[in-house]
Amino acid sequence: MLHTMDDTTTADPPVTPVASLRGLRVSMARNGVRSTVIKGVDLDIRRGEILGLVGESGSGKSVLSLALLGLLPRASAPVVSGTLTVSGVDMAAGPEEERRLARGRDLGVVFQDPMTSLNPTMRIGDQVAEAAGSGAEAVRLMRAVGVPQPERRMRAYPHELSGGLRQRVMIAMAIAGGPKLVVADEPTTALDVTVQAQVLRVLRGLTDDLGCSVLMITHDLGVAGQITDRVAVMYAGRIAEVGPTAQVLERPRHPYTLGLLASRLGLTTERGAPLRTLADDAAPDAAPAEGDTGCAYRTRCPLAMPRCADELPPLGEAATAAPTAFPHRSACLLADEARQRLLGDAPAAEAAPEPVTEDVKGERAERAQPIVSTTELRCDFTVRDRRGRKATLAALRGVTLDVAAGESIALVGESGSGKSTLLRVIAGLETSFTGAVERPGRRLTQMVFQDAGASLTPWLTVRELLTERLTGLRLDRRARRGRAAEALRSVGLPEEALDARPAELSGGQRQRVALARATIVPPAVLLCDEPTSALDVSLAASVLNLINTLRRDLGMTVIFVTHDLSVARIVGDRIAVMYLGRLVETGAADEVIADPKHPYTRALISAVPGLGVTLPDIVGEPPSPIDPPGGCAYHPRCAVAREECATTLTGIQLVPIGPRPPRGSGEQRRGVACVHRGELR
Amino acid sequence: MTATVTPGAVTAVDGPPGRGRLPGPRLRGGPLLSWVTLGLAGLVTVVALLAPWLAPHDPVQSAGELYAPVGSGGHLLGTDGIGRDLLSRTLLGLRTSWLMALAIVALGLLAGGVIGLVAGAFGGWVDAVLMRITDLFLALPGTLVAIAVAAALGSGLGNTFLAISVVWWPFYARIVRGEVRALAARPHVEAARMAGVGRTRLIVRHLLPGVVPSAVITASLDVGSVVLVLASLSFLGLGQSAPAPELGADTSRALPELLAHWWIPAIPGLAVMALSLVANLAGDAVRDLLARDGR
Repeated sequence: MLHTMDDTTTADPPVTPVASLRGLRVSMARNGVRSTVIKGVDLDIRRGEILGLVGESGSGKSVLSLALLGLLPRASAPVVSGTLTVSGVDMAAGPEEERRLARGRDLGVVFQDPMTSLNPTMRIGDQVAEAAGSGAEAVRLMRAVGVPQPERRMRAYPHELSGGLRQRVMIAMAIAGGPKLVVADEPTTALDVTVQAQVLRVLRGLTDDLGCSVLMITHDLGVAGQITDRVAVMYAGRIAEVGPTAQVLERPRHPYTLGLLASRLGLTTERGAPLRTLADDAAPDAAPAEGDTGCAYRTRCPLAMPRCADELPPLGEAATAAPTAFPHRSACLLADEARQRLLGDAPAAEAAPEPVTEDVKGERAERAQPIVSTTELRCDFTVRDRRGRKATLAALRGVTLDVAAGESIALVGESGSGKSTLLRVIAGLETSFTGAVERPGRRLTQMVFQDAGASLTPWLTVRELLTERLTGLRLDRRARRGRAAEALRSVGLPEEALDARPAELSGGQRQRVALARATIVPPAVLLCDEPTSALDVSLAASVLNLINTLRRDLGMTVIFVTHDLSVARIVGDRIAVMYLGRLVETGAADEVIADPKHPYTRALISAVPGLGVTLPDIVGEPPSPIDPPGGCAYHPRCAVAREECATTLTGIQLVPIGPRPPRGSGEQRRGVACVHRGELR
Repeated sequence: MTATVTPGAVTAVDGPPGRGRLPGPRLRGGPLLSWVTLGLAGLVTVVALLAPWLAPHDPVQSAGELYAPVGSGGHLLGTDGIGRDLLSRTLLGLRTSWLMALAIVALGLLAGGVIGLVAGAFGGWVDAVLMRITDLFLALPGTLVAIAVAAALGSGLGNTFLAISVVWWPFYARIVRGEVRALAARPHVEAARMAGVGRTRLIVRHLLPGVVPSAVITASLDVGSVVLVLASLSFLGLGQSAPAPELGADTSRALPELLAHWWIPAIPGLAVMALSLVANLAGDAVRDLLARDGR
């Protein structure tokens, strides 16, 4: 839903903005070193608009939001200059009491993780009522943000609610008292895609129904594209580009925005070629040193000129632009030329890279034999339920899956779908299961974890982490060092990284080390557990490229777990969709995305945020795997459910549909577990 | 010129300053105060080791005037009722207390550490058996054990050492075991198992280094307590037997003289206090330095 402001608004008398930032600079001390995090930001947040603030980690967007709230951590001794007013109150230098009152009266805030912002010892109702003033008002607010049965939920504690409901409660508290501005810092990042869509709807509704403004901080341009009116793209503490969402996303004018958009994965990203990434994976805080006068992006910018080092480009409009209340400004010396020059070059760049998936497909013949195979895999955990009673959590409820040698398969699902458990069973890390698993031995099965930082032993050097996998190969020290250096080179890290410890590396570098560790002795099967979900878009794209390259070079089978269908499409020849411990659909990646046969796959695809994609109408959240619904577990949320779905035994079996692939092709038929057998309207 | 992006998977990451910086020379040296405190503890240790040579007089033989006050000629800290040089007695008492405290803590750390590491890393029945034994020792009241040992084997420095050692290690076993359990649940241990790392290497390289800081911090904070326990046992007459110098025993024996000749009990008493203070400050310094180094 792109809310483009039409030109009639220009005729309106200029209204005072809700929040106004002029020449804002914030410097903070970290480990005794002072650095300027915000380097001069001019920004207005207007009445009733959703302003998206987009940037990579380290761009300063969260510091900006904390400054706006007057909540900069005192421990880091922030120094603020410039002006920062929220509905007339000086949030930078005003008296503390005045700022506190302004926070209560005019500001609301929604953080990424509602579990840490809600008080775990207080009932939801009491917390909302505290902000709202009365119990009745609390119920009204909770109803307004779509909490079902708010009267009942009032008595619940935060841990008894799902993630989506908690975030709704946070929003209810944020809008209590009718604030003029709600600051939402990555409010949907921790949520499942289908839930994300619902929460975004609520946020959009806030401005439409209540007329309050929202500052929406996000790293995802797709999310910004769905609900914001205007977008400001931040880079290294400055605004690189700002303007109406549709204009910024469709006709970006800053090379950085262009790069971000190009490296962003969507359901239409080309599959064969390597993904585009921003030059130099180093995070933006690797930007020029303190006191630098040039454009911070020039170190990564493909259009950088000598002038860029000396001159700080002002945030300017295109020369041809008609005067408007919502100008589209970009801080680049090249102005509109940047876009033309970059896009003009684009086809050449696309032609160059060698195809990735095609190569592998050539080896289809020898692929017929499954290398990993699971039969009727079931896995139960004993847990405490929300009331503290013992309960059984059925993580896997009969999963039969064959993965052919050389194939790459993406396991897709939301939280609680059992995708990670399946991966852990295949890895041999989870041993309490019934059913059968066949896989190559431990040395031939390697795994890359979601949080590379946590998966690398912090006190060991990269050299130790790599060479300890070479024991038993009877190599001398020099040979080991050579192998380790070679493994690092293959993941794009210099040899000097051998002596680094994980903490000295950036997130992307750590994930590369984890990949080098997994592939220094080439495995037959590489298991990946969301290795890119914690990375910035460009970094994620480069890690995905790396996985595809390694796979091609080493002839590995890849099993890749992800919650993101656009990622699944890039890494997987085949996609297997899971829901509450069962496979609901399998098939070739392109076919599954283009023509989903299961209603759940459809919902997932529609929920992938994209540019110009309208917010889908999805109901419900994934139910708890403790006591899942009977029959087809998806039936309570399914738009095409029939009566039989609640009890069906056949509807949960993965049955082959569609044409049979030619014999010996090694391809597998599509499968769907649905009473409709893929015959959806 | 290429377009927006660098095509191809692999972008070499050179070392721009910032978070992704590859290591250059590592900066050492931290808050000055911590190092000064540690230096003080080191000085105390050197003094303790050299005490027999530093002491100006024989600590058990009369060295002149009786009841010489503090600061009198030739006796910096005065003499006691039978003319023994108090400086010499304090130096040698300090030697006993300090070295014994260090030894007890080191021994406890070693024994408790190994038991805790094995229990935590292996889990299951190994853990259960080792920890129940630990609990058993943990349940023994230290002072009573010392009294019992002294009663059974006679009082003496060696027996006191034995008694405190027996009750001291279980603390470390518990701490180390708990830390190991917590570490073992962290992803890097699972990743190491996945990488095919053997059990011994897993324990020694992937678990042990993570436990050392907290164990060493606890232990260094404990040195002060052991000094006090030793002194109080000697005060009760269970430690060093007369006439050998021991700070707690000297304080105790001279207590009746407090009003007439305050310095005789006060000096060994103050020495105990100073020792335990230095030990605690050094423990804090160790904690600050290790915590700063990070995991």
